[in-house]
Amino acid sequence: MATTKLLDIPPQPYTGEKARLTRAYDYLILVLALFLFIGAFHLHVALTVGDWDFWLDWKDRQWWPLVTPLMMITFPAAVQAVLWTNFRLPLGATLCVSCLLIGTWITRIFAYHYWNYFPINMVLPATMMPSALVLDVILMLSNSLTVTSIFGGMSFALLFYPSNWPIFGLFHMPVEYGNAQLTLADVFGFQYIRAGMPEYLRIIERGTLRTYGQYATPLSAFCSALLCTLMYPLWWYLGTWFATIRYVKTI
Amino acid sequence: MFIHIKSYVASIFMALVFLSVAPNNAYAHGEKALEPFIRMRTIQWYDVQWSQESLKVNDEVVVTGKFHVAEDWPRSVPKPDAAYLNVAIPGPVLIRTERYLNGQPWVSSAALKLGGDYDFKIVLKARLPGRYHIHPFFNLQDAGAVMGPGHWVEVTGDAATFTNSVKTISGETVDMETYGLVNGVSWHVLWIVLGTAWLLWWVRRPLFIPRFKMLKSGNEDALITPLDKTIAKGILVVVPLFVFGAYAMTDSQHPNAIPLQAALDQIEPLPPTVNNGAVNVKMIRTEYRVPVRTMNMVAQIHNYSDQPIRIGEFASANLRFINPSLDQPGKNEEDTLVAAKGLVIDDDKLIQPGETKTVSMAAADALWETEKLDGLFRDADSRMGGLLFLYDPSGKRYIASISTSVIPKFD
Ligand SMILES: [Cu+2]
Repeated sequence: MATTKLLDIPPQPYTGEKARLTRAYDYLILVLALFLFIGAFHLHVALTVGDWDFWLDWKDRQWWPLVTPLMMITFPAAVQAVLWTNFRLPLGATLCVSCLLIGTWITRIFAYHYWNYFPINMVLPATMMPSALVLDVILMLSNSLTVTSIFGGMSFALLFYPSNWPIFGLFHMPVEYGNAQLTLADVFGFQYIRAGMPEYLRIIERGTLRTYGQYATPLSAFCSALLCTLMYPLWWYLGTWFATIRYVKTI
Repeated sequence: MFIHIKSYVASIFMALVFLSVAPNNAYAHGEKALEPFIRMRTIQWYDVQWSQESLKVNDEVVVTGKFHVAEDWPRSVPKPDAAYLNVAIPGPVLIRTERYLNGQPWVSSAALKLGGDYDFKIVLKARLPGRYHIHPFFNLQDAGAVMGPGHWVEVTGDAATFTNSVKTISGETVDMETYGLVNGVSWHVLWIVLGTAWLLWWVRRPLFIPRFKMLKSGNEDALITPLDKTIAKGILVVVPLFVFGAYAMTDSQHPNAIPLQAALDQIEPLPPTVNNGAVNVKMIRTEYRVPVRTMNMVAQIHNYSDQPIRIGEFASANLRFINPSLDQPGKNEEDTLVAAKGLVIDDDKLIQPGETKTVSMAAADALWETEKLDGLFRDADSRMGGLLFLYDPSGKRYIASISTSVIPKFD
């Protein structure tokens, strides 16, 4: 009977009607949280990461891996603060990232593809799921804000580029186009007309990190990792502050 | 509390819907909103033509045209150091397969020179059936969009038959409509399945109130089982290993991958076409008479060419005022932006070679008002500019880019 033992749930203080009621409350909160995070986190990412996540030809090796993890560690940190501190639930990051992906995929398919006619491959979103899983288990195993800030924050950022390269690497094959060398991603940007998105708006390897040429990606990733270790506790405290108001009133 | 959450959720959703409405269509037909001095004194379009106006899916339409970059570029508008010739269109209903500036292939942005003359060519391939109003237009970095003249194009046929393949340098032919889609979606599905499994692993248990109570009563240890810890350790080791393994594999599959390209194209202006020295036009005084919607211009014209010349047209901000008494090609009288009898010239005689003549012109049409150019004397930069087209008896064209301050007359 190894299976039943495996799926046994840990002891809980309630039985009977009380257990049923608290379970109903679980579902209520979960459904609300789902919609709240789909809306809020998706909006946050659309406003901060924005074009870097929307378009193939924005996903450069310097700014994309810097901006994306930094802006995507925010909600996970805040939600972890609530769910771990109060309930010992190590799923804040995974929950946020899942909700984000639901929202993102809905807009990519309906707004970008059906409404504005872009092929879906041109607007594939990046995934933060591996980073989120690792962040959740680091918090669970360490039970420490400091350890999670440092190691969790760093892994969150460092895993980003390698997790996404299998999705986007093939769009970086060189093409001879208009007497120049372009990536396939650049060709998408040229061919599939975006009236509000001229080529020069893209921020491709601009700034001082550019000096390091070939090493732009690892440098960006480490820079992002460092910033994530600071961003994580910042949003953790935002989360606890937000949660105090809500839960003290409720329970 | 629930009411608050509900209204919060509702407002977030409104924002979400609003956000997804407009990734791109902001510029279409917004040309009238742009300040007159930008429309008249930056990119001066002329001779814009479409190779055809009704096409089937996969057919191509070629848009050609010329433009002069005004010498009298407005002071408040950043110089065109990065300019991108775009197409105002409701999304990629046609795709841009080729673009040329002065005959040179042009895939990126380029700097334009003030006073420079350029010709362009854009090849568009029909992708989705429909009827579209298409304009070539310039995105100018930090300055905004300058619309060229628009044209209706009708696409018929079956969208499903659209094809678009591109060949990579290594020889692989890529179907742009689907390339990488299955791969990308598969990776997403894989990670979403793993993430969902982790979520379900926890969500199947009693959650909030029971766990909160257990935690507060000091029974925290029971909330995380040894099996949970084993799984977590597994994730901590396996996920990074798997991620870096997949990364290395991708790298070895695409050894020639290059970073996104962001070079500026270097394209020199053509030999001077406008203001090329054959005809010199100096503006003496310009008045705009508000009640009769007429621009009265007094110009001193010196003819340095060896042929007698006459004024045929004044064009600005895609409006064309034609002198009806002169027979000239390309009048396009049915076009709504053409005032076919809009240009009246006092003493409309030939200007002889070597002659300097002061000429009064009146460009009169309601278009000044309907196209919202009449607000220009209320701008901080109340100057106007445009192109003056002159012809010799053989039909040869001489073009002058003019620039003048404008004085309003309200009576
Ligand atoms: Cu239009």
